[in-house]
Amino acid sequence: MHQPDPRRTIAPRDPKLVMRLERMGSFHQSRLSFMRILLRRLKAQNWTFEQVKFDINQRGVGTAIYAAHGPERSYSLVAFANDLPPEKRSDRVIATEWDATFTLFDGIPDEEDIDRLSRNVPRQEAGRVSERELSLSRANRSVRLWDHVVEALSQGRQPDREKVEEVGYLMRTTAVYGSGKFGAADREQSAHRPECQGPFQIEMLSVYLTRAFVMDLVEHMARQRAPQTAVPLDPALRRRFGIGNSTGLGMAPFLLNHPALISNWISAREEALARIRSLPAASKDDAQAFRDFAARAELHSDYWSSEHPVQVAKLSRLRADMKALRTHLETADLTGDHPWNRLWLWAEGALSVEGQEQLTSLLMEPYGDLVDGLSDCMSADEARFFRIDGSMPISRLKALIAQIYDWALAIDWDDPAAQARVWYVSEEKLEPRMGERFEEPIEPYEQPLCPGRDAARLYADLEQSEDGPVAAFLLRHPDHRHMVRRAQIAASHPYAEIRDNTISATVMPIDLLRAKLSFFGACHFDPRSDRWVRINMFQHAPFPHELASGNADDWTYPYLAGAPG
Amino acid sequence: MSWSLNEVEGLARKAARGAGFSWGLAEEAGIATRWLMAMGLPGATALAGLLTRNDGVTYTSICPVDTDGRWRARGGTLCPLICGAAICDHAARLAEDKRIELGETAFPLLVLPFAAGAAQLTGKQIEITWPGCAATIGPDGKPGLSETTSVETALTAWASIRVTTGGNAGPRRAASRCEIPAAAAKTLAGFAHRTYAPDTPESRLSGAGAGLSDND
Repeated sequence: MHQPDPRRTIAPRDPKLVMRLERMGSFHQSRLSFMRILLRRLKAQNWTFEQVKFDINQRGVGTAIYAAHGPERSYSLVAFANDLPPEKRSDRVIATEWDATFTLFDGIPDEEDIDRLSRNVPRQEAGRVSERELSLSRANRSVRLWDHVVEALSQGRQPDREKVEEVGYLMRTTAVYGSGKFGAADREQSAHRPECQGPFQIEMLSVYLTRAFVMDLVEHMARQRAPQTAVPLDPALRRRFGIGNSTGLGMAPFLLNHPALISNWISAREEALARIRSLPAASKDDAQAFRDFAARAELHSDYWSSEHPVQVAKLSRLRADMKALRTHLETADLTGDHPWNRLWLWAEGALSVEGQEQLTSLLMEPYGDLVDGLSDCMSADEARFFRIDGSMPISRLKALIAQIYDWALAIDWDDPAAQARVWYVSEEKLEPRMGERFEEPIEPYEQPLCPGRDAARLYADLEQSEDGPVAAFLLRHPDHRHMVRRAQIAASHPYAEIRDNTISATVMPIDLLRAKLSFFGACHFDPRSDRWVRINMFQHAPFPHELASGNADDWTYPYLAGAPG
Repeated sequence: MSWSLNEVEGLARKAARGAGFSWGLAEEAGIATRWLMAMGLPGATALAGLLTRNDGVTYTSICPVDTDGRWRARGGTLCPLICGAAICDHAARLAEDKRIELGETAFPLLVLPFAAGAAQLTGKQIEITWPGCAATIGPDGKPGLSETTSVETALTAWASIRVTTGGNAGPRRAASRCEIPAAAAKTLAGFAHRTYAPDTPESRLSGAGAGLSDND
């Protein structure tokens, strides 16, 4: 047993260390990831699940509804399955049709709702939903694995485990739209509900139910093909299927546009690490639990594959790190003399950034009672921090910028490489894009996603101003209003600001994507370029009908041989 | 068509940016329009009118200059968004001096959300009046409108913002959805469109990252 209220003697890590893109692009899922928060709640509150409707024909076209019943409310995933011609199957925003489309309905839909949704949800961005809908999403098949699984099951045999593990999912979502998008309910409508207080709980529930639907669908299609011989998937093999996701630049600006929220996510994670490093001792059980998780994480790194050269190199370092950790653990004492801090200090010298961040997540695993409560601190009332404090003296603002953006003040912004990129929104796709400032006519459309440069510009103008309240400065310099707001938010939110140049010639947007997706709980990051990434979600998780008896919590790492899975 | 408030905020922010406001002021326009629409007031229509009126006008001709305790614009007519943001920025001074007087101002309704912001910042009740309209806003940021004959006015000769202790004329309940008149929505969408970069063959290829195949 660890102490219920340990004295945290070690401070959380410095934002200047944590908020670098290289490190954020090496974050791993943890106990504080949103899909794990969701499943812990669903299990603790005895949520029940029900397939309300499954009306899908031989061609795979039709409607299905999955309801989740909580203590106060029900939510329904409404799924529309499609028979998509292969030439239309694209993950990107250019697509207009998908293998399946979804909405998470607030309650249980009636026939009128389903009729309305059937005319809008399959059209996605071109359709319109209402305040009864909480999310809008779509998914495409992994054709190769889908065909293999349908064929195997229809012939009465299980699919090849290696093939299953190579892809890891039968469908991947290509967008999950939440709060207020395309007419859906604003987050404010549900934010006060206990089950929605954690970030992205609606979206995670939608994806969790989507995975259940996809597995039911593949078994259904096998039965349709050969009713006499078809078999369902073996439950253990079935859990090896996650739900994939392809994510591109649409998600990247989020981290920059929600500084208070991001700070709270990362503060929770850093507080968790600091609490565990502060423990003076660990029980033998906790030490053994950690060793088991380290072994499972090593297995996880072996199952993780990517063709992208950057990720290939990171994976090889991670595997070496996991091996080094295993060797270290063979002789390390994990019980006395601040064992986790000693381990951490060893890791700072011995492991790559990938390995260090994997260790951050691993250290949390045995300590649910120290960590899980921090999930209540991960949302943010962003409106509270919107108003600028106009009475702040210019001298104080300058000091803040010199402290938080010192790295940006040290950059030579006249160097073309420092400002090589521009974030803009494409007219055709209405999606964020990144382009070359000095090669494309896009600068007039630049989005405010480069706090470093903007802080340096603001600082230069502040230096030309006499001291006084910032209110008068802002009247003269309206162009700095956005940056003054950011700096003031960052003053009260230590992890609000990324301490790297987000428009440099070498910026990798996939680092931003991975930071966010790791908080979702995603695994197996597989960048397909510097700007989009494939991931796997809910792999190894129990399905809704297994949740009451299954392991709702530490399912994310593959189980060791012989362990129940 | 029923709009979510996030959609309203996003449309208003982009439209204000498209009309030439700085990003920081465009953010204020988004929050202000959202607040008005949630209160059942015609914020989107006012914003559409303001952006149309000021299209191509320079910042310095519509921003406030303090002359004799009254804010005026060099070009004659104040912009309510710039004034509104400045009122919030000067909330401490408002609490001390008890009032800010505005000269000729376009679409004064758009100042109202900022008066609410100032009430929240100062923890005091704020009254805003212009000919044909009086509103009080408590420190909770909820408005009560005692006179509403001119919420839609496109131009007022003056407006006055002051700290008061009088009664609140029945706060409004915030709504979670709103309707934007089609003409205003079209105008705002037109301004918002200016923020989108036209695609080129190069940007189509690389803007989202070319990379490997989608299908597996």
